[in-house]
Amino acid sequence: MTISWIQASILGIFASLSSMPGMAGSTIGNYTLGRPLVGGLVSGLILGDLKTGIAAGVAMQLVYIALVTPGGTVSADLRAVSYIGIPLAMVAIHAQGLSATSGNAADLAKSMGTLVGTVGTVLFYGTATMNLVWQHMGWRAVEKGDFKKLYAVDWGYPWISHLFFSFIPTLLMTHFGSSAVQALKTALPMDGIPMKTLFTVGALLPCVGIAILLKQIVDGPFDFIPFFVGFTLAASLKLNLVSVTVISLIFALIFYKLDMAISTNRQAAAPASGGTLDDDEEEEDI
Amino acid sequence: MATIDKKTLSRKTLNKAFHHWFYGHLTAFSQEHMQTFGYLTSMLPIVEELYDNKEDQEKAMKTYTAFFNTEPQLGTIIVGITASLEEARANQGISNEGGVDDTTINGLRAGLMGPIAGIGDSLVVGTLIPVILGIALGMSEGGSPLGAIFYIIVWNLLGYFGMRFAFFKGYELGDKAVGILIGAQGKAIRKAIATIGGMVVGGVAATWVTVRTSFQLKNSSGKAYLVLQNQLDSVYPGLLTAGFIVLCWWLMAKKNISPIKVMLILVVVALVGVLIGFFNPGLTY
Repeated sequence: MTISWIQASILGIFASLSSMPGMAGSTIGNYTLGRPLVGGLVSGLILGDLKTGIAAGVAMQLVYIALVTPGGTVSADLRAVSYIGIPLAMVAIHAQGLSATSGNAADLAKSMGTLVGTVGTVLFYGTATMNLVWQHMGWRAVEKGDFKKLYAVDWGYPWISHLFFSFIPTLLMTHFGSSAVQALKTALPMDGIPMKTLFTVGALLPCVGIAILLKQIVDGPFDFIPFFVGFTLAASLKLNLVSVTVISLIFALIFYKLDMAISTNRQAAAPASGGTLDDDEEEEDI
Repeated sequence: MATIDKKTLSRKTLNKAFHHWFYGHLTAFSQEHMQTFGYLTSMLPIVEELYDNKEDQEKAMKTYTAFFNTEPQLGTIIVGITASLEEARANQGISNEGGVDDTTINGLRAGLMGPIAGIGDSLVVGTLIPVILGIALGMSEGGSPLGAIFYIIVWNLLGYFGMRFAFFKGYELGDKAVGILIGAQGKAIRKAIATIGGMVVGGVAATWVTVRTSFQLKNSSGKAYLVLQNQLDSVYPGLLTAGFIVLCWWLMAKKNISPIKVMLILVVVALVGVLIGFFNPGLTY
């Protein structure tokens, strides 16, 4: 399996659309086209092997399922994972003659994707830095009252950043990468220390993503309790995520009612006249 | 003083403003001004409709040059709220003292973007997306495109209509929305959502994050008499996974180490673990 210039260019366009500050907007871009599962579908269609594409996408999605970007603190920019890593992983799976749905193919996809995915960080900072140029032009337009120019600044010029930091890197890496994949195989054998380390990092990496989310929710030790209840439901009781969510709703409802009752009581206690003790959401009955 | 006929934003302009935000909130992203330009393009149709005078337009637009960044999906509500505030400002006359001015609008934006980012990250990115992806992954096992297609349809419908709802709700409620979002009721809602977020994140962690050790002690005949992973699982299933997550949280929240550095620490941990035989992913070509 090889990747032609035409296929590589289409992958390049998708990389431009799907990055964190992607040109398709974050709902359609980052959170749809950028997800490795969708990247697997698209790459599979472009390279003409849907099954391998989806299998590689599923494997990669598992690694990046919970990685978030609060305030851009960590660049979980998946353009390189979805549109460079997955196509190259597909080439590698073919080169090894592995069955698309085998466990080894998934492992190979994960290691390739994670390795190539690190490029995404560089591409992310490259794009964001180059966008400073367009923003500068935007500020000048605002000074002059030339507001129509803002549309070009927000929707047009960033394409140039993506030409340099999404399109060209994807084009070159996917087209020439297919032969590099072969070279990598001999340079880094699977049972060697570097590849073992890479895979282990791949398994540990989602812990950081989860921890970033926890940082938003957890202030003290008690805030860990919901997390561990959810963890126990899934790990020990083997419930799936929808079931865990349904169970969490009842706790959320109880805490909401409790909190509202407490604040209603406080408001009622403050004035001299004793308020009612209802757990109503607002004191509209007074 | 305000003119007799009250200015009201047309549905068409509001739709335009919403779509500008829906598409462009992150396209001109930089580390310095993350979503500021998305905000400017979204407010432009509103400002143009409310003020005929070029000077008034410039004055209004300057308000939105302040830094803005939040969770963009849920953050749509803030754009809706400011649309309503801008309308109120246009009706009182732009240079009117009291009422709505630059400081009110920007104070409100600055006050909301933090809490909204917190709720949005745990609700949208931490709960909603992993749950839809989780269902989709199950459907795509074995190489079927069905799961991917399911995800594309469900997420985009929820994303588009959810954001649309947030925008128009924000516009409708105006500054009353602030009370709901950061008042006592807002606090209660945030706490309730944090509980859902916490539990689902726990479920996501247990379902998809797997840290396993390959450490074994063998007797002279080569038979393993202690398989550490089994021992750990008999204490608490997923103990090692949970332990690593808490470690990462502790490093970031208590030691103020950046996520990138935590990842580098994990690389070192992985290397050492592989060298001493604690980790072995069991790979073959």
